[in-house]
Amino acid sequence: MTTLTQAVRTSSTGGTKRRRAARVRVEARRAPSAYYWMVWPAVIAFAAFHTLPVLIGVFFSFTNYAGYGAWNFVGFANYVNLFRDDRVLAAYGFSFLFAIVATILTNVLSLAIALGLNAKIRARNFWRGVYFVPYVLAILVIGYVFQFFFSNSLPKILSGIPIFRDNILTNPDWAWTAIVGLAVWQACAFSIIIYLSGLQTIPAELYEAASLDGARAGRQFWSITFPLISAFFTINIVLSLKGFLQVFDPIVALTNGGPGTSTESVTLLIFRGGFSGGEFAYQTANAVVFFIVITVVSLFQFRVLQRREADF
Amino acid sequence: MTFHPTRSQPPRRRRARRRTALAAASVAVAVAGLVLSGCAGSGGDGRVKLDFFQFKGEALEDFDRIIADFEAENPDIDVVQNQVADADTLIRTLLVKDRTPDVITLNANGNFGRLAQAGVFYDFSDEPVLDTINPAVQEILADLGTYPDEVNGLGYVNNANGIIYNEDIFEEQGLEVPETWDELIEVCEKLEAAGITPFYGTLADSWTGLPSFNALGAYPAQGDFFDRMREQGADTGPDSAVSFSKDFAEAMDQQYELFSYTQDGYRGKTYDDGNAAFANGEVAMLMQGIWAVSPIKAVNPDIRAGIFPYPATDDPDDRLLVSGVDVVVTMGKHGPHQEEALRFIEYLFQKDVIEEFAASQNMVPSVEGAELSDDPAIQSVAPWFDEGRITGFIDHQIPPSIPLAAIDQEFLFTGDADAALATLDREWSKVAARTIPVTGE
Repeated sequence: MTTLTQAVRTSSTGGTKRRRAARVRVEARRAPSAYYWMVWPAVIAFAAFHTLPVLIGVFFSFTNYAGYGAWNFVGFANYVNLFRDDRVLAAYGFSFLFAIVATILTNVLSLAIALGLNAKIRARNFWRGVYFVPYVLAILVIGYVFQFFFSNSLPKILSGIPIFRDNILTNPDWAWTAIVGLAVWQACAFSIIIYLSGLQTIPAELYEAASLDGARAGRQFWSITFPLISAFFTINIVLSLKGFLQVFDPIVALTNGGPGTSTESVTLLIFRGGFSGGEFAYQTANAVVFFIVITVVSLFQFRVLQRREADF
Repeated sequence: MTFHPTRSQPPRRRRARRRTALAAASVAVAVAGLVLSGCAGSGGDGRVKLDFFQFKGEALEDFDRIIADFEAENPDIDVVQNQVADADTLIRTLLVKDRTPDVITLNANGNFGRLAQAGVFYDFSDEPVLDTINPAVQEILADLGTYPDEVNGLGYVNNANGIIYNEDIFEEQGLEVPETWDELIEVCEKLEAAGITPFYGTLADSWTGLPSFNALGAYPAQGDFFDRMREQGADTGPDSAVSFSKDFAEAMDQQYELFSYTQDGYRGKTYDDGNAAFANGEVAMLMQGIWAVSPIKAVNPDIRAGIFPYPATDDPDDRLLVSGVDVVVTMGKHGPHQEEALRFIEYLFQKDVIEEFAASQNMVPSVEGAELSDDPAIQSVAPWFDEGRITGFIDHQIPPSIPLAAIDQEFLFTGDADAALATLDREWSKVAARTIPVTGE
């Protein structure tokens, strides 16, 4: 017995010695410990303020907790009820419609503006500053300015057009376009910055060579500019769609979900139902589903868009 | 505060600024500490400290005055008023943490009813102060929900939800206050014939549809409509014994009819627009409540505005005034200073105290025999309170997760009553189906 264990022990120590030697060689190539002290605080903070609350939220989505008082486990009841709730489905429909339209508009507009701001125009830095201003302003502040604009100024300016005369924000069919207007106006600022930085990575020689070969501006854009900024295009599309799916403050500022429930986004529904509606657990389940939907959509976009990115 | 060597600012000034910032921060911390220590426990001079939770921002100064008078009469009690924003949320967190304030005022809405049902408030059944209060007011409170067989709150001041009318315009046109539905429509027709817009619609704010919905819906909701709806729960629908579709169709038609007498562009106007237009005499009536009288008088102090209940019936004697308890006074079920808290509450309900408060807040005092302010709007609704012909807001009975204001607003845009009522029924049964009661162990 003793001899056997002895044998095992010796053989095992021999093994670890060899393995340890290998590990030392790997560690020698690793960064000094100071860098760990930079990484750990962020990891701990992220876990404490993000991961942990998410897990707690997932936990409560399986209960009937009202936000206070006693509660029970209810299994998947909240999730089942979610898929039976036409108001929830309508909110998802609105969020996706809004996000797709706003993403397309934002990217078309901001790419066009970025091309202009990248060209040799007079007072270029001034214009770049001007286009960044919407991003600096607080959304609720602009929201109320826009609300005044839509409900008081536009009805007077465009009194000939019925939609605007009757205050577009109170029109169930068209109120969402006003929200798209505000959201795109503000989101463009950030997209322009990303596109500008992308455009500046393209060497000017390419354009010189192309123009020597007789390529016009349109051809230059489709054959040089667009392929070379496609990585920036991907990140812009993914970020825009994710951001617009979570649209909240422009709606609160302009219509507050109305008229009726025609501009109620998923986030607004979660906020309203969960906090003022007293259905904390039910809307937490909604939030979990929404989190999964957004993750899946974003990953899908990355796969599709990255496949057609040009390699440098 | 990263250091940028290229920055033009000399480092010494930067340091000086940082020092002042530090000093300011430490002063702030010290002040906060003083405030906090001032809040904690009872004072060192043997006076009992009452924590008074007060939700109504515009009543802050009134209560300051009341407390000063009370403390002068009761030198052994020190009342600390905590006026809070978003009281409904805060009181819930305080209750969860078991830090119930000694004396509480709240708006008597559905939220108050649910808290009362949870059994967190004191039972006032045997308190003599209860006998001084108008029983109809206590009835409204009881309808919101109580811990079984208890009285969990005392109604303090009430509002009135009716049609506000311009008395001058009515006199000029020789119109009487309408007492039946047909008379109301006749008044509207006569006003239109005289070139005066009868009502001002303000549907850009979705909630402004609710006052008329509450007032007209109060008639079909009499009796035990909502009790039966709650019993039905998830089975509510076109085939159930009671439902919105079955019982509310007439009320919805009436509401839509009234909105047909509003001005052009009523969809895009806000509550403030409506008050201003009424104050300037542009329209004869507003579908609002007594709470709108103050903002109207802010625009035109000389206006003579009265209120009458929505005469949704053919028999004038069946008319009801919808009233909500604007301020309810209560206290925690268990507290260390209940005897002192009751003394403060009894003081609040003394006639002269409540009269002054109600007059200042433009509300109707709940204590029987208390004088009302001579404001014509208040005077015009006084008889309804004296006769006890008041009833509560029905939207307090509808779960807050149903977007009632939005559904009603949409209905007033489209005019499709069947769709709106079907939506209400569907939302009601959905909420009932997913509301899973806490079963304990």
